[in-house]
Amino acid sequence: MSLARNRNFSIVAHIDHGKSTLADRLLALTGTMDAKKAVDQVLDSMDLERERGITIKAHTVRLLYRAKDGHEYTLNLIDTPGHVDFSYEVSRALAACEGAVLIVDAAQGIEAQTLANFYLASDAGLTIIPVINKIDLPAADVDGTREQIHDTLDLDGTEALAISAKHGTGVPEVLEAIVARIPPPSGDADAPLKALVFDSFYDSYQGVVIYVRLKDGHVRPGTKILLMSNGRTYDVAQVGVFSPDMRPVAELSAGQVGYITAAIKRVADAKVGDTITEAARPTAEPFPGYRDAKPMVFAGLYPIEDTDYEALRDALEKLRLNDPAFSYEPETSLALGYGFRCGFLGMLHMEIVQERLEREFNLSLIVTAPSVQYRVLTTAGEVLDIDNPSRLPTPDRIEQMEEPYVHSSVYVPTEFMTAIYKLAQEKRGEHKSLEYIGKRVHIRFDFPLSEIVVDFYDKLKSISKGYASFDYDFADFRASELVKLDILLNGDPVDALSTIVHRDKAYERGKALVEKLRGVIPRQLYEVAIQAAIGSRVIARETVKAMGKNVTAKCYGGDITRKRKLLEKQKEGKKRMKQVGRVEVPQEAFLTVLKT
Amino acid sequence: MVSGSAPRSSVLGFYLHVPFCVQRCHYCSFNTAPLEAGQMDPYLRALHGELDVLGGLSWAGDVTIATVFLGGGTPSLLEPEALAAILDDLRARWRLADGAEVTVECNPESVTRERLARYRAAGVTRVSLGVQALDDTVLKTLGRRHDARGARAAFDAAREAGYDDVSVDVMYGLPGLAVDAWVSDVERVLAWDPDHVSAYALTLDGGSPWGAGGVENLPAEDDVVAQYWALTRAAAARGFEHYEISNYARPGHRARHNLGYWRAGEYLAAGPGACGFVGDVRYGNIKPLTRWRAAVDAGTLPVETSERLTPRQRLAERLILGLRTSDGVPAAWLAERTASEPALARRIDEWERAGHLVADGARVRLMESGFILSDALFVDLL
Ligand SMILES: Nc1nc2c(ncn2[C@@H]2O[C@H](COP(=O)(O)OP(=O)(O)O)[C@@H](O)[C@H]2O)c(=O)[nH]1
Ligand SMILES: [Mg+2]
Repeated sequence: MSLARNRNFSIVAHIDHGKSTLADRLLALTGTMDAKKAVDQVLDSMDLERERGITIKAHTVRLLYRAKDGHEYTLNLIDTPGHVDFSYEVSRALAACEGAVLIVDAAQGIEAQTLANFYLASDAGLTIIPVINKIDLPAADVDGTREQIHDTLDLDGTEALAISAKHGTGVPEVLEAIVARIPPPSGDADAPLKALVFDSFYDSYQGVVIYVRLKDGHVRPGTKILLMSNGRTYDVAQVGVFSPDMRPVAELSAGQVGYITAAIKRVADAKVGDTITEAARPTAEPFPGYRDAKPMVFAGLYPIEDTDYEALRDALEKLRLNDPAFSYEPETSLALGYGFRCGFLGMLHMEIVQERLEREFNLSLIVTAPSVQYRVLTTAGEVLDIDNPSRLPTPDRIEQMEEPYVHSSVYVPTEFMTAIYKLAQEKRGEHKSLEYIGKRVHIRFDFPLSEIVVDFYDKLKSISKGYASFDYDFADFRASELVKLDILLNGDPVDALSTIVHRDKAYERGKALVEKLRGVIPRQLYEVAIQAAIGSRVIARETVKAMGKNVTAKCYGGDITRKRKLLEKQKEGKKRMKQVGRVEVPQEAFLTVLKT
Repeated sequence: MVSGSAPRSSVLGFYLHVPFCVQRCHYCSFNTAPLEAGQMDPYLRALHGELDVLGGLSWAGDVTIATVFLGGGTPSLLEPEALAAILDDLRARWRLADGAEVTVECNPESVTRERLARYRAAGVTRVSLGVQALDDTVLKTLGRRHDARGARAAFDAAREAGYDDVSVDVMYGLPGLAVDAWVSDVERVLAWDPDHVSAYALTLDGGSPWGAGGVENLPAEDDVVAQYWALTRAAAARGFEHYEISNYARPGHRARHNLGYWRAGEYLAAGPGACGFVGDVRYGNIKPLTRWRAAVDAGTLPVETSERLTPRQRLAERLILGLRTSDGVPAAWLAERTASEPALARRIDEWERAGHLVADGARVRLMESGFILSDALFVDLL
């Protein structure tokens, strides 16, 4: 099959600019599915994705399109995740394409993720087709958006297509532009197999289904393949395409996008970014840029009901099948009992895992404050990796502590520079370089990872009105003045509420924490003292007064059932409480530590 | 489910619901209907019809009714003949115990000495007067139609009509009610020398106008607590027993019908939205007047919801109802409940250590300091 009629592309956009709507239009227009089904935006298939409006996993659909030139083209649409936590996955998905449709909302103009995605796409060397969407809106400013595209992205604004994905206006032209402007894939079908893994998922019947983009060679059922990152070999069971459901084909060859199954048991054995080749005739060089997705943030996950421990373990095992970036191992907490220490790519990833556990596995969980992994050199000369504050040796045993740092890039319009520098200083950022690009600046900072995992991105977005984009990469461990901040309830330390913080920030944080905790811990039979302490030194204290009154109206006319139902409802609410010593601590208390 | 369930006990209570009110009070979420012309007669016909169906159940002849409670709504809107006819109907179908307690809830503005005397002649033994407050401004905010003088007049009328069981309902925690104002209200009411006082802290219910629309000027929680203690002290000083979370009685004047509820006793019910408890089944009648009537006209029990209690629910109910009273519950019941839940046993120990709960020998009971926190315990006991 000739590659000249193939196009591999993705659609990138700032959230809500219309990526899913346009994708649905393209599917409907090419008859990939009937228009009625298209109403449910097919690409965001996980409930969670649809609700949050974020694509979490990459998705792929093959469209067959008869262009104006009379030829039929195969268009592979590769959808990408939409969050910094997954920027590595985005970069791999883009590496599988030759072009990208970059959507800009005609009423909103260019926003932070427009930029971030633009940079990822242009770094990957893709041909970019700018598209101005939502021209039907009264507030649409098509000319202004064209200018922005020219000024900020340095693309030819006049080449931008003006469309309404919602009404379908201009959408056929998008298909034509994909055919006309994006180059066909190049590759050598006779060379050794070289395929990029850009996503995968676990299917209980077929094992791992790997999404691949073939650069060279071909693959068919029976081919013995080699995964280059780990040296494992497998016999291919099936190859196919997504249209949009999985459809087996006889062969995939150079330039094509599709899937491979090979009775692979764990997603961790076929990681995103890996190169698949032929075992008998391996390619000389794998794709560059592969890296092991390493958890960056760690937190304890505990079932609220002790009896759910086994269920939680089974659920974690199942999730992990599908998500090699996530890790877990058993741990115990004095306050919370038996649970697991889990590692995540970032906070969104953590929230997603938590939500899936609660929703798909029906578990009630407590998540402890997230921590990065610290490195401790003890006086005895050992080196310890500490991802759980309660495991930190006592100060007298610590020779030196180190914390992970990241290299980061911030792109932001010049007018927000001052605010960004101020935020960076608050977050212990070290300025590395500054570069002007038109009306924007590119600033490089090194940050302690712990300062940026929780709310940095949200803060950055809010102080820059959404225009800043941010990306980071692990750099190294650096010596740092760190202390363990403990929280005590009625004098007893609660290990699950401990955090490791920089000495300069401990006081302020301790104070903020106890204040917030006072707000979420309900009044109990006794007064509850909440203290923040470093070692034996209490640095902040608040009290929750004893309960004053907890009694409701009479049972009107003997309606005992109503009264009981009201109490049952309260009891439902109390299920989200964990008894820590004598104090009942609600789930939110642990979240508070996370968000303070 | 209801008709198939025979009572465990041979002595039952009977609750009759009279839904009409001239207007809805702002705090009320109960099943009431505005009294419109021509509504009363069809209601009464249906009520008799319902008694007819209930009286036809196989076991009806085997039980004795020890207490009757006419609640509302505003039962005192019933003409004395109508009330007499209801009680006659009841006696015709069930054995009414000697010395049965028959209570009617009365709104001060709807009673006169003469009306109350005729109620008494019909067999009513006890009057429960909805005074609620003695401050006229507060009464107005509540949406009540009487004033303090009217309340006093109604109380005197009850005495003059010969009742030696008169209960007064009051509310605290009301918008605009200061602690000292409450203290003087309490003193005034107690000075009337009632036999029984029910005092409820205002709770905002979703179904009430206040619950739905909100209300301003609510006293702070500490003030509501202070109001509770002011009443408990004043009542004790006058020789009242604080025998249930919200109820105070002079010795020998406890509300027997309500005690039945708190002992998880059984009771029949009639009227729209009325709730009954027979065997292991708790049930509630259809609430809307016309639908309730239609069901009765069709010759069926007008039951809308019913639930057969599991042994576990029964036990929980007996605990949370029994602990409402100063008699408490047998320690063995509590032991049965905590046997499978050590964490609960530990929490109950905390209540004891805090002095809110006492276990004296065979029984366990809440103290006055525990009454006001009791929902927190009940939630755990469920
Ligand atoms: N008026 C108008 N609304 C649009 C258009 N395209 C998308 N939308 C709406 O914009 C919102 C976000 O679209 P969606 O496709 O989910 O954006 P995504 O987050 O980029 O996937 C939805 O409410 C769409 O209906 C358009 O062309 N015109
Ligand atoms: Mg979307």
